[in-house]
Amino acid sequence: MSMWILLEALIKIFVIIGGLMTAAAYLVLLERRVAAWIQDRRGPNRVGIPLTNIRIFGLGQPIADGVKFIFKEEFIPGHVNRWLYVLAPSAMFVAAIVLFAAVPFGAVDLGIEGWEPIALVVMPGLDVGIVYIFAVGSIAVYGVVLGSWASNNKYAFFGGMRSAAQLISYEIPLGLGILGVVLASGSLRLDEIVQSQAETGVWNVFTQPLGFLVFLVAAFAEAGRLPFDLAETEQELVGGYHTEYSGIKLMMFLVAEYLHMVAASFLIVLLFFGGWHFWGLTGSEPVAGIGVALLRVVVLLAKFMLVVLFFMVARWSWPRFRFDQLMSLAWKVMLPLGLVNLVGLAFWIEYGRPRFSGANEWIVMAIGGWVLLVASWLVTTLLVPAASDNRPRLGPAAADLDTKEAASP
Amino acid sequence: MHTVVLPLVLFLGCLIGLAAALLLIGNLFGPHKITPVKRMPYESGMDPIHDTRRRFDVRFYLLAIAFLVFDVELLFLYPWAVAFGTGEGAEVAGGLSEGGPPLIFAGGMVFLTLLVLGYVYDWRKGVFRWR
Repeated sequence: MSMWILLEALIKIFVIIGGLMTAAAYLVLLERRVAAWIQDRRGPNRVGIPLTNIRIFGLGQPIADGVKFIFKEEFIPGHVNRWLYVLAPSAMFVAAIVLFAAVPFGAVDLGIEGWEPIALVVMPGLDVGIVYIFAVGSIAVYGVVLGSWASNNKYAFFGGMRSAAQLISYEIPLGLGILGVVLASGSLRLDEIVQSQAETGVWNVFTQPLGFLVFLVAAFAEAGRLPFDLAETEQELVGGYHTEYSGIKLMMFLVAEYLHMVAASFLIVLLFFGGWHFWGLTGSEPVAGIGVALLRVVVLLAKFMLVVLFFMVARWSWPRFRFDQLMSLAWKVMLPLGLVNLVGLAFWIEYGRPRFSGANEWIVMAIGGWVLLVASWLVTTLLVPAASDNRPRLGPAAADLDTKEAASP
Repeated sequence: MHTVVLPLVLFLGCLIGLAAALLLIGNLFGPHKITPVKRMPYESGMDPIHDTRRRFDVRFYLLAIAFLVFDVELLFLYPWAVAFGTGEGAEVAGGLSEGGPPLIFAGGMVFLTLLVLGYVYDWRKGVFRWR
């Protein structure tokens, strides 16, 4: 019995490690092509099969990049803290992949006598899946802080401080966004959260747009993607916390960062876009036969690709935030909005839901959610100048503000 | 229980092995030509003036404390959300009504009110002010 569990786990582990490494490599290529498309260039399209003239749309590029990373010099600068310097990229790499142990892809019944249905997740039966992901995702902060501290380099240090402050600040809106979903489905298991959306056919994004907005912004910040990539602003900080790294260790940092984006995309899809559910296509049973299970994986990956494409397009659509704007957004806008979403949802479950039934329940809930979103947006933009006025405070105005805030208790 | 944790231990083992193997491969195949300049910190070609590990802004500490408070309170809210969302344990906590269990709802709201009070205090004290 134990043998089979081991074998099953090993197969899943190899599939997920292989899949993620390949996905990271080829998503980088895709991102470069998307960037080129937006900037009206061609992008990497030359590397195909070596020693021939065959260029298959640059599909050889990630392999060439990987080989080059391996053959780069692997040295440890003289001024660094040796152990921490090596530990930081390894820890971040391991944590970025081990996070996927709780990301479910559905469950399949192979239809063989005496076989139990197989849950397509490395850790089946984990009741606190979302807490696990939240906890392991936080380890990224350690990688960043360790790397920047061990580097003993001022660029790395500033990047690390910024990144640590950013990551911990946005963890709170992230948690509030997740809490709304947990409250609505009453479970901490990702597969049950998807299941509850599949059974009603109403995805969480329709009923909790405010929670989705908070979660999306926080996920962008946690992944360190462009509007929030203060940690490694090339123009100011060279490379941020990985300024002093080269070769394989740099590759580990970059792969880990990319996998954060992949994880954020999966979470967005699973929590808010119904995971593997699509109306009329995938059914709503917890366990499916081989055909439907494959279809579900395809649906999940298709949604995932759409979210990833959104991440990539967003990168070239917004300018980077200033650091104080970033902090105000997290603490003064996203945190209250997350709380508003949570409290609104709790009031709905306590007082609103018992009064409606059937389809009406979901329609009213969705209308309430969207009204909450628009109202919060209006309040944020119109009534709270502290949040919307993001001009730099220098000179007499800043001194004035200081005395005002210091005078208040 | 061990059927849940065993795959995780395996996964962690594989990944640590993979990370170690990658480091080893890099060390085996890369060149090794250390020069004094290469061993210096990279600071845009300038000679570094002093060590990096000096005092830094106290705001980072304030932020870390604020984060700790809010994150721990969020962790308390997870079990509350599950209990309230499913209505489990309602018999012990105020009986079932048509909505969620009222006592769990009230408890959560009191908790959130305290959280908001702390949040307002932090804001007024200027913890979230970055200039």
